[in-house]
Parts: sequence; structure tokens; C-alpha cells
Amino acid sequence: MNVIEIDHLTKTYGQARGITDLSFTVEKGEIFGFIGPNGAGKSTTIRTLLGLIHPTSGSAKIFGKDIIQHGPEIKREIGYLPSEVFYYDNMKVKDLLKYSASFYNKDCSKRIKELAEVMDLDLSKKIDDLSLGNKKKVGIVQGLLHGPKLIILDEPTSGLDPLMQQKFFELLEQENKKGATILFSSHILSEVQRLCNRVAIVKEGKLIQLEKISTLKESNYKRFKIETKTPVSAGYFRMVGVNELKEEGQHVSFLYKGNINEVMRKIAAIEIQNVWVEEPDLEEIFMHYYEKED
Amino acid sequence: MNMFWHELRAYRKSTITWTITMVALVAMMFSMYPTFAKDAGQFKAMLEGMPDTVLKAMGLDMDTITSLLGFYAYTFAYIALCGAIQAMNLGTSIVSKEVREKTADFLLTKPVTRSQIITSKLSAAVVSLILTNVIYLVGAFLMASVVRIDEYSFMNFFLISISLLFVQLMFLALGFVISVLARKIKSVLPISLGTVFAFFFIGVFGATTGDQTVRYFTPFKYVDVASIAKGGGYETPFVIIAILFIAAAIVSSYVVYVKKDIHAV
Repeated sequence: MNVIEIDHLTKTYGQARGITDLSFTVEKGEIFGFIGPNGAGKSTTIRTLLGLIHPTSGSAKIFGKDIIQHGPEIKREIGYLPSEVFYYDNMKVKDLLKYSASFYNKDCSKRIKELAEVMDLDLSKKIDDLSLGNKKKVGIVQGLLHGPKLIILDEPTSGLDPLMQQKFFELLEQENKKGATILFSSHILSEVQRLCNRVAIVKEGKLIQLEKISTLKESNYKRFKIETKTPVSAGYFRMVGVNELKEEGQHVSFLYKGNINEVMRKIAAIEIQNVWVEEPDLEEIFMHYYEKED
Repeated sequence: MNMFWHELRAYRKSTITWTITMVALVAMMFSMYPTFAKDAGQFKAMLEGMPDTVLKAMGLDMDTITSLLGFYAYTFAYIALCGAIQAMNLGTSIVSKEVREKTADFLLTKPVTRSQIITSKLSAAVVSLILTNVIYLVGAFLMASVVRIDEYSFMNFFLISISLLFVQLMFLALGFVISVLARKIKSVLPISLGTVFAFFFIGVFGATTGDQTVRYFTPFKYVDVASIAKGGGYETPFVIIAILFIAAAIVSSYVVYVKKDIHAV
């Protein structure tokens, strides 16, 4: 069963681009990664799903119900954590969370206490006095206190220290085990890799790739940089799996996907000065997908 | 109801402050009345020396100024000004604060419709104003009973006092529709003070020319308190226009807000 179905969704802001003809589905019980560089349209998609902005064309369904017609009904079962959290400053954490809970017609006080304990959050403080990281914790508790069936996270880890990030991820995994579906937007590949089953990669408002994390891991890209003693003959490294080949005299660099042994043999056959094998950063993978699209 | 109570609580301090200010203002003005009434003859003589336009601009009516209600009607302009600022502030801020303080993402992702949000906010604002008016009315009445010299019509006293709410509701509706139409209001005070004073001075200048049509263009002149002091009442055309204006502003607020895009901060 699909929890989220996005169907040819387009949102334009006047002349500016938002998202163009975006379609994908998120299945029940999945942790779905939604990655792309800043300005790719991740937040636009999420804000449309939540009814904060209205689509220019296309439609989307959550729990099989149209996001516009059944907005409030759908939102009963959604927990949302925005990338930047801001709450009514002159309220106490406790009062804010109570106010948040009052929208869901169920008793959430026990869950609030549990979550606050896990996240090490002081409920009696004023929101005004909290640090950015602590405000983020309020956001996390606020997003999870009603036991939502769908959790939507928009770049949720900014401002959290590594320890809290760890606890937060564990919390998400528990919620997921209990049956919650999670849509996780990020521009950091490593956190998506850790948590998610599948990822959608977006760039400039378009879906570029939709893959299982396992596939993405198999298609392990490596960035090779080689410095040779003498200039290499042009095209020496032109082989299957090599992309973005740059040859500048004694310096060669390329992105490689495939059997590592083959490329190592190739390198071993020439006299080299130095070699670097790196994990390509996300931007490079994006660029690669992007160029393939063209 | 949770949103209604939340809003009412959020504006509690401001409502109390405004109410105290207006009660204090009316108390101060009434406290001057006994001395004023005693030296009425002298005062009238002094006023008669002043140019006619100045008297009109200040809303002074020579026939009634020395009676309690006449005096009240004259001073009421400043209480209405005060109340208008309260209402305009409230109307302009209550919806726009969610975007300004970046809390829209919290409220609008809760399982509520946009109409429910508007309804809660609007009713909280109206209730705040009604509470202000009730306390003001009691305060003004007590003070008037203390300083009165002759009998006066309570009905007319009530009609003058309650025109505060009448003016406030118009400014509330105006502020409300402005805040919904604007993409983002960075600061409420310049907008509300600017608008209220503009209308106030339209009223002042309208009064100097004696042009009746100007009255239609400023909420401050919809109720002619000076004529009520002499036994008049509310004028039907003005009441109807006011109601139509308020209804139009509120209906368009709903229509616009339901479709509005709430952008990321």
C-alpha cells in the first residue's frame, strides 16, 4: 500500500522554478530518503504535501486521500519537523507541547514525558531561553507526540549534536518498527544511507533517480586521482565504468563505478607518483546523474 | 476551541493594558468635569473668542459642552482614537504574526482547516474587544455617576460609550483584511498607527469644512456622538455601510487565506 502518491506535481512561483512534473510513491513502512542540493525542490514538495502551498498542477495523495480535499483529516496522522523550528517564544516548552497535543484529541502526556526523557529536554523552560539544538528537540517531540503514521522530516539534523542525532535516529527506527512511514529529506547522503530503504534524488525541481539504497551502495562510485611520473597517453583510462575523465599532463582524475580490480590493474601498469581513492561527495553524484539526464 | 483560548491568552496582556489605559483616560477626563462645569460661563466666553474652524476641528459644540454628555461626547474622540489603535493592532497582528514569528509551519500542519484558524483568531479578537468595552463601560459609568451634577440620559450615555466597539470592529476588520492580503508584515505598529491617524485626521478636517460626505470615509465619524449627546441616535445609512464593510472585509479574509501559499522562512 502506498502512503504517499505524488502524481505529476508541479509548483511554480511566478517565473521561478519550484518543482516540475514530479511523480513518485512512498510505500507503507518505508523510510524514504529525499535528497538533493539546496534549492532542488525538496521543501517545496514537502510544503505542498502538507498543504502549506498549493500545487500549480498535478496532484498528490496521502493515505490514499487527496491532499487538498482531505488536508485536515490527513494531517491527523502526520508528524512534521521543519528544518528550522520556531515556536511561540513566550510559552513554556510544556505549554507548547500541550497546545500541540490539543489538536489531536488524544492524551499525549505520557508520550511527551517519554520523548522528553529520551531527548533530554527540560519541559519547564521557556522556549525563548532555549538554544538552537534544544529548540530542535522541542520540534522532534512536537512531531512525534501523537504517534503519527507518517513522519515528514525536512533536513532534521541541523543543530543537533552527534549524540542527539544518534538518539533521534534510534527514535525514528523505533517509530518505523511500530509501523510509521518516514519521508526524510536531506542533502547529506551519509544520514540517508544509514536510515533509508529507498531514495529519490531531485535536482532543479525534477526527479533524477529513484533507487534502493542497496543498489546505490552496489553502484559504488569512487573518485580516483592519480599523479604519474611521466604524462599518460591520452585516453589511457578510457574504459568501461570511467566517467568525468580529466587528463592534465601528469594529473588524471575520474569517477569510477565497476570492478575495482580492473581499474587497479590499469593503474598498476603505469609508473605512478601518488594516488587518491575517495568517496565522491553527494554533489558529484548529483552532477553525474544530472549529466546522464542530458 | 484550543486555538481560540490560545489566542485569547496570547493577547491577554495587551487587552488588559489597553483597557486600563482607556478607563484611566475616561476617569481623568471626567475628573476635570466638575471644575469645568462650575466655571462654564467663563469657559464659554473664552471659547467664543476662538476661531470657528478651530472649535469645529476639536469637535466642540457650544450648546452642549457644559452638560455631562456634551462634555463626554467631546472627550470621547480621544478614547475612540485609543480604542481604534488597539483594534487595528489586534487585527493586523493576529494572523500575520504566524508568518512574522515563523510559527505558521507549526499551526498550519495541524489537523485544522484554514477557515477554522481564521474563525478562532477572529473570535478571540472580537471577544478581547468586547471584554475591553464591558470594563470600559462600567468604569466610565461609575466615574460619570461620581462627577455628575444634573441628571443625564443613561441610554444616550450607553450609545456614546458603545460606539467605541462600533469603531473598533471596523478597524479590526480593516486590519484583518490587510494582514491577510499582505504577503508578510514586518512590523505592525507603523501600519496600524499610520492607518488610524490618517482616518482620525480625515475626520478632523472633515469637521472643519462641515462637509457631510467626508463622514463616510472615516470610521471615526460613523457615529455622531455630539448629536447623541443632544438626544439623537445612530444613523441607519452609516450603520448599514459599516456592517457591509465589516462583512466584506471578513468574507474576503476567509477567501484569500484559504488559498494563500505560506512560504518557507
